[in-house]
Amino acid sequence: MPLRVVYLYRNLTRNLSRTLLTCCAVALPMTIYVLSMAVIKGIDRFLDNSAKQLRLVVGHKTSIINPLPRGHRAKIEALDPTHQRIMSICGVRWIGGTVQNEPHPLSTLAVEPDTFAQTFSDYYLTTEEMADWQRNRQAIIVGRATAQRFHWNVGDRIQINPSVPPYTPFEFKVISTAPKAIDPITNICRLDYLEELTKQAVTIVPEDWKLQGWVSFFFVKCGSQADVDHFRVAIDALFAHSPDETRTQDEKTFINEFIKQQFDLPRNLMILASLTVFVAIMAAANTMSMNLRDRMNETAILKSLGFSGRVIFGLIQTEGLALCLSGGLVGALTPYVLFTYSPLRNFTVPLIQTLEIQPIVCVQAMGIALVIGMLASAWPAWVGLRLPVISALRNLE
Amino acid sequence: MALPLYYNWRNLQRRKLSTTLTFIVVTVVVVVLCVLLSFTAGIRASLAATGTNLNLIVLKPGATAESTSVLVPDEIGRLVQTPGIALGSDGSPLMSRELCVQTTVPRRLSARDKEPAPANVAIRGVDPIAFDLHREVRIIDGRSFQSGTMEIVVGKAAHDRYEHTNIGDEIVLGRMENRIYKVVGVFDAGGATFESELWAPRTSISDSYLRRFDSSVVMRLQSVAATKAAVEFINGPTVQLEAKPEPQYYEDLSKKTQDIVVLSTILVSIMAMGAIFAVANTMFATVDGRRREIAMLRTIGFGKWAILVSFVVESLLICVSACSVGLVLSLLAGGVKQDFLSDTTWTVLAFEMKITPGILVAAFMLSVIVGVFGAITPALRASRMRIIDALRKA
Repeated sequence: MPLRVVYLYRNLTRNLSRTLLTCCAVALPMTIYVLSMAVIKGIDRFLDNSAKQLRLVVGHKTSIINPLPRGHRAKIEALDPTHQRIMSICGVRWIGGTVQNEPHPLSTLAVEPDTFAQTFSDYYLTTEEMADWQRNRQAIIVGRATAQRFHWNVGDRIQINPSVPPYTPFEFKVISTAPKAIDPITNICRLDYLEELTKQAVTIVPEDWKLQGWVSFFFVKCGSQADVDHFRVAIDALFAHSPDETRTQDEKTFINEFIKQQFDLPRNLMILASLTVFVAIMAAANTMSMNLRDRMNETAILKSLGFSGRVIFGLIQTEGLALCLSGGLVGALTPYVLFTYSPLRNFTVPLIQTLEIQPIVCVQAMGIALVIGMLASAWPAWVGLRLPVISALRNLE
Repeated sequence: MALPLYYNWRNLQRRKLSTTLTFIVVTVVVVVLCVLLSFTAGIRASLAATGTNLNLIVLKPGATAESTSVLVPDEIGRLVQTPGIALGSDGSPLMSRELCVQTTVPRRLSARDKEPAPANVAIRGVDPIAFDLHREVRIIDGRSFQSGTMEIVVGKAAHDRYEHTNIGDEIVLGRMENRIYKVVGVFDAGGATFESELWAPRTSISDSYLRRFDSSVVMRLQSVAATKAAVEFINGPTVQLEAKPEPQYYEDLSKKTQDIVVLSTILVSIMAMGAIFAVANTMFATVDGRRREIAMLRTIGFGKWAILVSFVVESLLICVSACSVGLVLSLLAGGVKQDFLSDTTWTVLAFEMKITPGILVAAFMLSVIVGVFGAITPALRASRMRIIDALRKA
């Protein structure tokens, strides 16, 4: 056994430049694989969290931009007089917004303040933050990635120009950066503050478009998955044939619909990841075939000395595995270290913004690297196994 | 004296497997580059084809798109005083009031869909004058709608992508989904974003969606030189709205695609580096396997430069031919229909993936870079080989 290890080590180091180049040629596709999977897993985590929250999203049946009357909330609440199946309902208005001299639009929602904390318990507001939220109409919870981008801290007074009427700048006080929230970009402010400013606005806006008492969506927190399934149908049935019919979806389906309309990032990244794995297989197979070709004489001598075909097969396979595993290790650990410990951790990615590379993705990548090694060395190992000694020795130079 | 190209070609054939595997690696990298860039090119082409510098688009200050802009009749009335505004044949200002709303329409089923996915599609309520301002819009099938009726015309891209958009189909619209519009025509807009939209009479849409205001006004100027004065007037205290030349408005909307460009560049750069290592590996093996041959070439009078250039040319032969195959494969992606949801307008933009000349040049440059960088170190090693040592070892 030690002899084989020594032989393997010698083989890997006898042409160091080839070994290093192959490692790099496998490592770089593995880096792309890890990055792609990190984005896909990030989106999955986002969706899984939505599924776990047992929330329904109630929007207007005809379009997401048509508002719903806030009166719908009481009617939905009345579907469950016990309050055991519908835990809470929170009306939400999208206001988008921009920061002065920064063209990139923000994601800002104005929410009904009384039920926000209960409906969105995954924001994990502290008691102090909750008190601030209830006390101050100008309170805003900013997404941690957004806070980082604009250097906003808790206690700061900030200005956001809404993308909807009254269009005039709103002043807010940051009460939290929601460090534990799964959504790192969305800002949350109070709907009563928005309505008050819109009511008082001097900007010319039609009365019916000041949207007093209207919301974009209702988020309905249910008690169990069975309740989610039940009320998804029941809410739409309640408002059927009314002036404001609804379209109710569970939160995961609702978000997934947006993701699919934005380039279907998970699907396209999966295609890219598969292609990069293919590239790595080609690169590794190239090296292994070159190694076999260069050592054909040597293999013939080994066989003539009595080493069996199985031993030769094992040696070539092990070499391929060791080579690709080293590449996989470097390819997986480099992005992990860079995106966890270096300033690159602030790098933003569409949809999920913060790129969090989980160790499990790195382990997966190394597993794939092993499979690449196996596949890449399969043919050379097979040739080694079947090598006819006499004819190989006849070709000895 | 340079080595003949035929020499390189024969050498590549001697190592068929190695050459093929390297060829495949470079081909895949070129295909990935082209496909990623064709997304951006498609969106940009669609947005760039929209509008003319002679048209100004007027929105409420602060609104990031037409879908969130609210203009009331008072404000629109003040716009007729804009200096430099063009007049129509009847002497009235060329000004189009437009109302943008949205509806959810199922996509046409594709092979991989189990059920039609919904798309958020823009509906533009316009008066007949809109066709005088958006001159790129022309009916290619059927006819235009008649004012005041429940008729609708659909953009070519929308017609290709969404259900209920054939001529004669009925599409249910309205805030309460209680107005049945009949599709009477399909229009082309030279690839502009309008092709993703449905157009209907403004008054009908206004009534169907209970809107008593407009979203935007598009006005034609007498000349591009009048733009500055017109924008200053509209943005100034008299009107207090926000005007932009149409191309600038659509250019702003295309900024979202910057994210894709950045992401594509990072991913392709990493893949290209991988390809460089793969090429270098092959070329090192080539040099090692031909030490005696290189020494012989040097002995019979070929200089260091000839050897160096020969190896770089050999690498370029692999990379450029792989690039050609990659480009041919990528061309299959050209014209593939996609759509994406803008987070500014909240409507989908249907576009065709485009392989532009710029992308072809970028792919070619990438293959040259991979070829040269992959070959340069092995080629240097070959050219610096000591003749006596090489002959002795051989």
